[in-house]
Amino acid sequence: MKKIFTSTCPKCKSTFVVSWELRHAGLKLICPICGHRYLPDKSLAIDEREQH
Amino acid sequence: MPDTKKKTKKTAARSGPKSLATYLDQIRDDPNEFRKVSRKVNPMDFEVTAILQHLEDRGEFPTVEFTNPLNLHGEPSKFPIVTNLWATRERCAEAIGLPRSKAGRELGSLFAERVPRKIQPVVVSGDNAPVHANVLQGKKADMWILPGVRHAEMDLGAAFLMGMVAKPPGEDFYNVTFIKTFPETGHRGGLTPHSAHIHRIFKLWEKRGERFPVINILGHHPAFWLGTLNSTPWGDNEYATAGGFLQEPVRLAPSVTWGKDFMVPADAEIIIEGEVDPSKHTIVDPFGEISGQYQPQELAPLMEVTAITYRDNATFQDIFSGHREHQLMGALGHAGSIFNYLNQKIGGVTAVNLPFSACGRYTVYISVKKTEEHQPKQLALAALVFLPTLHVAVVVDDDIDVFNEQQVLWAVNTYVDPDRDADLMKNLRPPQDQRGMGSNRLMLDATRPTHRPFPTRLRVPPKVMERTKKLEEWLDSAKGKKS
Repeated sequence: MKKIFTSTCPKCKSTFVVSWELRHAGLKLICPICGHRYLPDKSLAIDEREQH
Repeated sequence: MPDTKKKTKKTAARSGPKSLATYLDQIRDDPNEFRKVSRKVNPMDFEVTAILQHLEDRGEFPTVEFTNPLNLHGEPSKFPIVTNLWATRERCAEAIGLPRSKAGRELGSLFAERVPRKIQPVVVSGDNAPVHANVLQGKKADMWILPGVRHAEMDLGAAFLMGMVAKPPGEDFYNVTFIKTFPETGHRGGLTPHSAHIHRIFKLWEKRGERFPVINILGHHPAFWLGTLNSTPWGDNEYATAGGFLQEPVRLAPSVTWGKDFMVPADAEIIIEGEVDPSKHTIVDPFGEISGQYQPQELAPLMEVTAITYRDNATFQDIFSGHREHQLMGALGHAGSIFNYLNQKIGGVTAVNLPFSACGRYTVYISVKKTEEHQPKQLALAALVFLPTLHVAVVVDDDIDVFNEQQVLWAVNTYVDPDRDADLMKNLRPPQDQRGMGSNRLMLDATRPTHRPFPTRLRVPPKVMERTKKLEEWLDSAKGKKS
């Protein structure tokens, strides 16, 4: 399974799934619910547990 | 006289080469197959997919035309939306020239026959291409004039879901693949080239570091699309495969942007011409995909629009993503390709189905006239190797209907000895997307054991079934009178 993480939007608190390639790419994520753009480290919560 | 003129005009418009309009004429008068929504709908506010979901919840799967949608600017669109075209096997059968009664095994067999029967495309001038009746270039080439649909709650935005055409550098064959275009502005959009051949084409251009042409076809006759959905070898011209399914040559015209260097289908509804700059990327997804889950947000190639062309009275075609039509349109092509491949390599296969319960992609049911005990496992393994998306292969006897899941599961529950008939193939494929099975694959031989005595499946004698098949001649009417 390709590595993914989930990010929780700091503005609207929606959680969505993101490819791992964007975790440290220095690019802003786009919240699909409210359109807020933010760096992954600014997520309200992040789940980046390894998958087995 | 006016009536006669009108009728003559309509007949003339529909008697030409096959197009989406000629197909819609075949089903438009049947309320089981075609429904129209004249009320204003906002596709970006999910009103299109909500209507489709309600119909699906009622067990209804008509093609739906939305005649009054808003475009991506939030203004009334000049293009109606047609969607849910492939949601039943019966409509798919009719689209490629089979009667509705032959939507089971025969449809799969016909797919298998049509794949190699290519019909080479023919070239017409741009003046004779209906899709060039209207040409927008420069700032006027604005994708947001289209009624793009946002499909599922957490989709990043509207996505155009129909086919994209590309060709590799230095080659002269065209690959047609369903990939998403996210129109982030009117003039540029992210693309998701996940399928193997289109991914390879993008990578080849990327290595050269050159901008390359792509087109987005937003509407054509359903047989055109069904022809492009088969697993064909690298190097096949998919315009020719589509011709085999249309049973007439695809008419091609020089594109507005690149002329004869890139040919476009003349009878399409709407075409976006664009160029991909390998150095530019953008954010796309989440998107509710075939697996019934959201695809993760990712970085994707960027297309810059060079022109939009459309025929007079063009219709914008869409797909109810992650639902029955999405599942079926891919399943049919894959089933036909698997049927051909297995019979060439091993033999004995009588039917192949990729069921809705596995999204039409991840599980295959294969029926076989078994001639020796090891044959089912050979078939299962060959199928898993042939089609990368498959995760589970189940092989049953010929008396089990692979289109009847209850029968297939009866065979699994009756014949499978897990110790002997179930095999887990670890690390058979690279992981492709977000499903629990990852790189592993599962094979089940659910055929009746022949290496030892085993009970026989019960049945009513076939001769008597045949004698009584006109059931209404035997049943009393509901009121107690003989019908």
